[in-house]
Amino acid sequence: MKKEHRLRYIIKQGILDTFYIWKDELKNVFRDEGVLIFFFLVPFAYPLLYSFIYNNEVVHEAKMVVVDQSDSYLSREFTRRVNATPDVEVIAVCTDMEEAKRMLDEKKAYGILYFPTEFSKDLHRGKQTTVPLYCDMSSLLFYKAFLLSATEVSLDLGKELRRHNSPGASDKQEQITVDPVPYESVTIFNSQNGFASFLVPAILILVIQQTLVLGIGMLGGTAREKNSLHNLVPVSPHFNGTLRVVFGKSLTYILIYVVVCIWVVAVVPKLFSLPQVGDPMTILLFLLPYLFACIFFAMTLSGFMTNREAPMLLFVFTSVILLFISGVSWPKEAIPPFWQVVGYAFPSTPGIQGFIRINTSGATLNEVVHEYHTLWIQAGVYFVLACIIYRFQIRRRKKFEDFNVIM
Amino acid sequence: MGKQCLHSIWMIARREIQRIGKKPVYFFCMLVAPTICVVFFLSLMKDGLPTDMPIAVVDMDGSSNSRNLSRQLDAFEQTEVVLTTVSFEEARQAMQEGKVYGIFYIPKDFGVDAVAGRQPKLSFYTNGTYLIGASLLFRDMKTMSVLAGASVGLQTGLAHGYTEDQIMAQLQPIVIDTHALGNPWLNYSVYLNNTLLPGVLQLMIFLVTVLSIGSEIKYSTARQWLQMGNNSLTVSLIGKVLPYTVVFTVVAFLYGAALYGFNSFPLSSGWLPMLSALFLLVIASQAVGIFMIGVLPTFRMGLSFASLFGMLAFSIVGFSFPVLGMDPTLQALSNMFPLRHYFLIYVDQALNGRAFFYSWTEYAWLLGFLILPFLIGKQLKKALLYFKYIP
Repeated sequence: MKKEHRLRYIIKQGILDTFYIWKDELKNVFRDEGVLIFFFLVPFAYPLLYSFIYNNEVVHEAKMVVVDQSDSYLSREFTRRVNATPDVEVIAVCTDMEEAKRMLDEKKAYGILYFPTEFSKDLHRGKQTTVPLYCDMSSLLFYKAFLLSATEVSLDLGKELRRHNSPGASDKQEQITVDPVPYESVTIFNSQNGFASFLVPAILILVIQQTLVLGIGMLGGTAREKNSLHNLVPVSPHFNGTLRVVFGKSLTYILIYVVVCIWVVAVVPKLFSLPQVGDPMTILLFLLPYLFACIFFAMTLSGFMTNREAPMLLFVFTSVILLFISGVSWPKEAIPPFWQVVGYAFPSTPGIQGFIRINTSGATLNEVVHEYHTLWIQAGVYFVLACIIYRFQIRRRKKFEDFNVIM
Repeated sequence: MGKQCLHSIWMIARREIQRIGKKPVYFFCMLVAPTICVVFFLSLMKDGLPTDMPIAVVDMDGSSNSRNLSRQLDAFEQTEVVLTTVSFEEARQAMQEGKVYGIFYIPKDFGVDAVAGRQPKLSFYTNGTYLIGASLLFRDMKTMSVLAGASVGLQTGLAHGYTEDQIMAQLQPIVIDTHALGNPWLNYSVYLNNTLLPGVLQLMIFLVTVLSIGSEIKYSTARQWLQMGNNSLTVSLIGKVLPYTVVFTVVAFLYGAALYGFNSFPLSSGWLPMLSALFLLVIASQAVGIFMIGVLPTFRMGLSFASLFGMLAFSIVGFSFPVLGMDPTLQALSNMFPLRHYFLIYVDQALNGRAFFYSWTEYAWLLGFLILPFLIGKQLKKALLYFKYIP
């Protein structure tokens, strides 16, 4: 039996080649500043930038203008209390609507609270009164701030008025007629309803996938450009087996992305004190299949990149779509079935869903088991696809080599 | 002289069209990607608001009253009760599994206590991890709680011989009547797509502009291109970007047709202000694209810059989280994005129907971006003549 056909020899050579390819790919990465941008600069800087943008979490002091035609103690008290809430600032009190509208036009304010002439009269007469609130809809967060603050003040002031109006009734008795069913609202997880806490964890996970796709795609494109046969696999005896090529290369990416992941999911959330109630071990276990899936997904796609710039032109815009398809901002139940199916092609979809639930809602692996399994399946499928692509490329290269020998 | 310039521009534009025809990637970036995005976002948000979001009802009462409450909650358009249970633990787990976004808690003996005046307390929980879902469900569950109180109040009040008006004044003396200007339906498609889609367009224009100039450097055809323009960078650039201006303007107007025509989104000031804003967005983005490849004449660096800047636009433009809520540095930086000014024009013109007077500075900003290529002209020309592509 020839030496080359013995199993032990094949395995030993395979492992040696894997490490050779690993080293070779590592060199490729560090020699290419374009790839370095995507493997290091973007994962380093982008999370910082996004956390910085959304760092204030909620809108404070949204500017409101008051039109007070009632000009009474009660309307002034109402205005004072709205102004005292942390979310709203009353910048002016006007006497007519025209002036207030002009302030909206000039972007000096984003909402108008209007007290009609009969406001105080109604209340004193024990009649229900209506206070119109007009909101500029350029930002829903302004709208929310105005609405919640005005409602809160109206309820508080209303309660006090009722007490004042029916002083005869005993405290308890009176409350029963006015407040027969009290209620309380609790936000569990991300309890301050912060914008950074809501969006940044999803972006962090998406950045991992997108930078891998761009970086590995760029490496693939470069390899093809450099290669005289436009082949993904270089002419070298080390690159003869599919598995060793796929393993060798993915080893490079995994080692780099272990570092990236530590930065992205452990350091950045601490820096910006984003909520992180998940168990670190669970996060680690969950990220493992996510990384595998992303890497093999990226390697599969890189097989189709014919030049080094192509990945940016083809994949950057998908980030916007992938963020929405993941169901973090648009609830997944409301996503049309067709797009839900499309979403399953990308590791980011289960990756983001699972991660935010572990990270922000404190889920355990049991509660994200669907996403966890999906990621392992994706990892498996894309591993096979990556192997097929490399197998095809290696065959193609060999054919050319044989052809050259004959000539 | 003038005639010759026009001729050169025409010849360069024809050459550019041939270049575009040879590379499918142009076709993808200019037509396929924008189409995918418009189909995706408009179909995703076609209902305006996400409907039938799942919640759990923890019903400790189990009376006809509490079942009635649960049924009414389910009847809300945005809410669907998918789980009724007596275990809060089970509901919380469903929340962590992502199966529900909210929990409505009805305490024991709710029905009896409410009628007897013992003030049973309703509680509702939302999952802040999903901000949009949580705030919409908050609205429904709060309305439901208020209504529950009102109906009990009415019953006892009527029994005591009060009129309905008297009871309502007693239950809720001051009512806030909200008017969402321009978007009374709180339609998320109106809210998001008016900025998301032009944002995609801006991103693709950045990329294509950098691609069209960067590839001249990469494949060493830059000198030939400049010679066709008699070594005038202005002439060469105009000829080069012209075909893209035409294509992207058509795409932008089709976006306008999809938003304001097909979907009938609010268009208070008529077509002209928005169509001109879309056109200005196209040429301003092209100018920024030229600036990018001028500053970073390495093809891939230019493209990376375009990608990162283009993606950042979606956040810094402030249609989701307002710019006024950001750090002052970022507020200043947001001016560097054509999309920011386009967004402000949209708010004034399409959404609120304000007079042109209030948005002319934003139009001027968009025009102002056209200065950028001139600032970087010298460096770009040097790069085109002497820069060697290193892979």
